[in-house]
Amino acid sequence: MNELGKVHQLIIPFFGHDMTFNLEAILMTWIVIVLLVLFGFFATRDKSILPGPVQVIGELFVTQLYGLTEDALDEKLSKTYAPLICALFMFLVLSNWLGIIPHLEEPTKDLNTPLSLGIMGFCIAHYAGIKAKGFKSYAGAYFEPIFFMMPLNLIGELAKVISISFRLFGNIMGGSIIILVVSHLTYSIIFPPVLNAFFGLFVGTIQAFVFTMLTVVYISVQVK
Amino acid sequence: MSFDTQTWVNVAAFLGGGMAMGFGAIGAAIGEGYTAAEANSAISRNPDISGEIFKSMLVGQAIAESASIFALVIAMILLFTDFTSVSCVTACVLLASGLSMGLGAIGSGVGSGFPAGAACKGMARQPEMSGRLTTNMLIGSAVCQTPAIFALVTSFILLFTNFSGRPVSPTWAAILGAGFASGLGAIGSGLGGGLVAEASCEGISRQPLSVTPVTNIMLLGQAVTQTTAIYGLLISFILMFKAFPETSSIAPPMALLGAGLCMGLGAIGPGVGEGFTAQSAVRWIARNENATGDLTRIMLVGQAVAESTGIYSLVIALVLIFVV
Repeated sequence: MNELGKVHQLIIPFFGHDMTFNLEAILMTWIVIVLLVLFGFFATRDKSILPGPVQVIGELFVTQLYGLTEDALDEKLSKTYAPLICALFMFLVLSNWLGIIPHLEEPTKDLNTPLSLGIMGFCIAHYAGIKAKGFKSYAGAYFEPIFFMMPLNLIGELAKVISISFRLFGNIMGGSIIILVVSHLTYSIIFPPVLNAFFGLFVGTIQAFVFTMLTVVYISVQVK
Repeated sequence: MSFDTQTWVNVAAFLGGGMAMGFGAIGAAIGEGYTAAEANSAISRNPDISGEIFKSMLVGQAIAESASIFALVIAMILLFTDFTSVSCVTACVLLASGLSMGLGAIGSGVGSGFPAGAACKGMARQPEMSGRLTTNMLIGSAVCQTPAIFALVTSFILLFTNFSGRPVSPTWAAILGAGFASGLGAIGSGLGGGLVAEASCEGISRQPLSVTPVTNIMLLGQAVTQTTAIYGLLISFILMFKAFPETSSIAPPMALLGAGLCMGLGAIGPGVGEGFTAQSAVRWIARNENATGDLTRIMLVGQAVAESTGIYSLVIALVLIFVV
């Protein structure tokens, strides 16, 4: 039970500030990246009209997520953003599934991962908004319905980053804490596999999808 | 009879355990009862598939119960662990942990009863779709449990973090406030998420071809509905992890307690209200799939407006923590 909330950190002094690196999150993120690159390599290695099993999975991801992006954005914009959405979803799904393997942890369990992905989505959405509408009508949207609503609109926008990243973080972290505590209480009999399947595979997939979908919707809200 | 710190810690553990399970039992029972009621009416409508409906009722009830099981876990931990203490902060921690999980289980318990009931009813209407309805019910209920999981996270962090180095005077109030913020904050979102999932199960049975947009918009609506619960979680994280300077006055602790209560209570209404918005949007998408884009946009705008009171609470809570 003592491993709960314990993080291995590397702290490097940097001009009077301490730079903190969460080693586990970095290592697990690299594992996910390597697995994804391998997947991409095997999915496209010998492309054929009769696809192999890995190519089928790759095509499934691509068609489904391109379809999802096209539903929310128009055709031209979805060409630009669908690769990002695809990559985001595949990264998140694999990250959330990683925890079911013993001794590996979900990188999304560390708040830094979801928060940086949330900030990334936020920046991209606002960039797309400025590009599509022009800066004047983009900035004007903050002064609706009346000008003094500006601070609240601003907080509402920033709260979107908080809500999207804490939702993923809370679910994955909550799942892993539940697995840890219940395994401890039941001496790891019967319950852990079931809980891993539920929280790791099922909730992990749903939350990855929700995060991806919200990123698409944030972009489409800014663009329209 | 002497009342030293250790006695107070034991008192708080028993009280916290009792409240965790007591409050935690409210929601799931209501949700399960609702499911069973809907299953009865579904069987009377289509007795041929009563076995299938009965099975789906049991599965739905099992999921609705999980919020209560979380509360049971916390209550067991509070009752059977020996807590040694250094200050009466520990007593507040145990009390807050129980309160957070107990209150947090109410909304999700009631909420996940709705999709289960709607799935049973939908099977009676459209037996062909029972597999798809079960899947949709499982997804909807699992997302419904998110606020309860947030409350559980707060409880566990409270139980397993070492607060011994903190000054007693403002910390006790910050910790109680954290419990209230995430516990009360989970009620509305849990309930609202259930309403959305109910509409999606109903919609799939009405119009089986609309499965994809209905499921997608359901997830979107539920995610936005949970926003205020996430504000509650955020406030409780700030209250738990920010180091507050020691004080002898009663005003700063009350400001922190007030911040927790403000965020917790302020999150209930927006959660339920946004749930109604998304419920209606999902219901009408099932009937008129061509209007999905418009309905989604209006749903998001409506939810943003309904959420503004939750944002007011967030602002006031932040002011209470950082300014007062």
